[in-house]
Amino acid sequence: MRAIALAVVASAALVGTYLALGGASYAPAKVADPCAARDWRDPGGFQEVVEQIVLSSLDGAACELGVSREEVVLAFESRRTRERFAREHGIDDSELERLVRAGLVRAVDDAEQADALNGTTADLLRGVVSRIPVEDLLNLPGVLPGLGNLFPS
Amino acid sequence: MPLLGLAVGIVLADSSVVTIALPEILGQYDVEIETLAWALTSFNLALALAAVPAAFAARRRPVGVFAVGGGVFAIASLVCAFAPSFGVLIAARTVQGVAGAAVACAALALLAEVTGADARAARIWAVAGILGAACGPAAGGILTQLLGWESIFVVQAPAILVTLAAVVGLRVAPTAQPRERPHLGANAALMLVSGALVAALFLLVILLINGWRLEPLAAGLAVTVMPIAAILAARFAGAVTPLWSRAAAGVILISGGLAALGWLPEAGVAWTIPPQLAIGAGLGLALSALTERALAGRSAQAVHGGWTLAARHAGVVLGLLLLTPIFTADLEQKADEALAAGTAHVLDSEIPPLQKFGVARDILVAVDEAEAEARVPDVGEVVEARSDEPAYAALAESLQDQLDRAATNAFSNSFLAAALLGLAALVPILVDRRGVSI
Repeated sequence: MRAIALAVVASAALVGTYLALGGASYAPAKVADPCAARDWRDPGGFQEVVEQIVLSSLDGAACELGVSREEVVLAFESRRTRERFAREHGIDDSELERLVRAGLVRAVDDAEQADALNGTTADLLRGVVSRIPVEDLLNLPGVLPGLGNLFPS
Repeated sequence: MPLLGLAVGIVLADSSVVTIALPEILGQYDVEIETLAWALTSFNLALALAAVPAAFAARRRPVGVFAVGGGVFAIASLVCAFAPSFGVLIAARTVQGVAGAAVACAALALLAEVTGADARAARIWAVAGILGAACGPAAGGILTQLLGWESIFVVQAPAILVTLAAVVGLRVAPTAQPRERPHLGANAALMLVSGALVAALFLLVILLINGWRLEPLAAGLAVTVMPIAAILAARFAGAVTPLWSRAAAGVILISGGLAALGWLPEAGVAWTIPPQLAIGAGLGLALSALTERALAGRSAQAVHGGWTLAARHAGVVLGLLLLTPIFTADLEQKADEALAAGTAHVLDSEIPPLQKFGVARDILVAVDEAEAEARVPDVGEVVEARSDEPAYAALAESLQDQLDRAATNAFSNSFLAAALLGLAALVPILVDRRGVSI
């Protein structure tokens, strides 16, 4: 019986120590709720503002679809992944595109109201957002490098 | 006598020896990962099915069965080493299992003859088997890294042939027909414990190599903790009486160690050492006690030894069948979670916005390539290749952390399920202790 008691104590101490050190919660980080408000980081330039707009629009589209922002980003990896994502969520590819474009326009509006963008730049961005190919929607900072001089410094 | 013990050790090491070599075997043959598991399952299933018939044959002609079994095992090992296709490898592994059953059962009958004492023969046989099973992954890792996976089988052939010297000139009279039924309680417990040990001898090795990206040699050395603990425990096992108490203590240590592996606080070999010590000590105590209990007072040692072998390897097959689906489903889920968490880290990182989608695309390419090769991608390398600025290093580190978390967490449920399987072995042990005839 002493051997059994020793084994129980040793096992309990080992498992207890590992649990106390966080063993039950050592897992990949949970992604944030896209419907919850995020802090608007102080943008340091035009690219950063556009980035914030893209991220904000992704949150909007993801919230509406009931998925995470990251799932929307991964859906835009290629045409195949976009179509698979749309199929899995019962929408068609054009509906997904519409959601992201609408989110981008909304985010430009928000940035303009927050004085992060001036009216001219905001108008220009809204025009670009409604016309650029769907593959480039999430890479807006990358397709707009020439507009940096329009950003109010 | 040492040669007979060595033969048993070589055969039973074969149960787990190729675990570390699985990625290398996958690289050589164009097979699905699910199919790859047959490199392990075929040997254990064949050994489980052949053990009892082989034991009955060994009862009549132990010398002949040992010699023929050893010769066939050597030939099958060489066929494994030079198999032109995966199908041939599996066929040869199956033949190895059948021949291995003959060698192990005949070795028990011969040990009883050589030592002149059934109890001592059973103890030597049990310890040799424990050491073989526990040393398998370590030996496989070292050979795979230094000489390639084929060397595992090339080395086995001459090694088993050397042990045949043990029976040169030996004459053994056939033993009587067994009068007793096999000991169901001890054999049932052996099956459950062996099923649980699949997690320690197979999944832990896969976690080290495929999850944490250790080289086979490093992984092989990392898992030597278990056989060392098993040797020490088996050395002092005789002092722990009665047998049921030793078996129960061993089972509790194995389950505790497996549960700790299921709840690792961080990725890192050091965290696996205490659980390995518990599992190794438990293995040394439980398997020796249960094998001795199964053979105690039995008239035909080889036959009842065959039953214990059948129980142990049926347990390994049971463990593989139960734990593999849990593990593969969790791996898929955690890979998705890691991808989402990694994407969040890239989006929220401090690297320039213009670079983020390029980095994300590079990572996805690395993930796809790694997926095709059934390994964890080295995303840190992908990110750091773009720039040596601190923001990139910080991103690489956080992505690596997410991958480590996902890889470690993907094994948790399997280790915990194995711990429960181990604890289930307490039922037949305690029923047997209460004197209920099963």
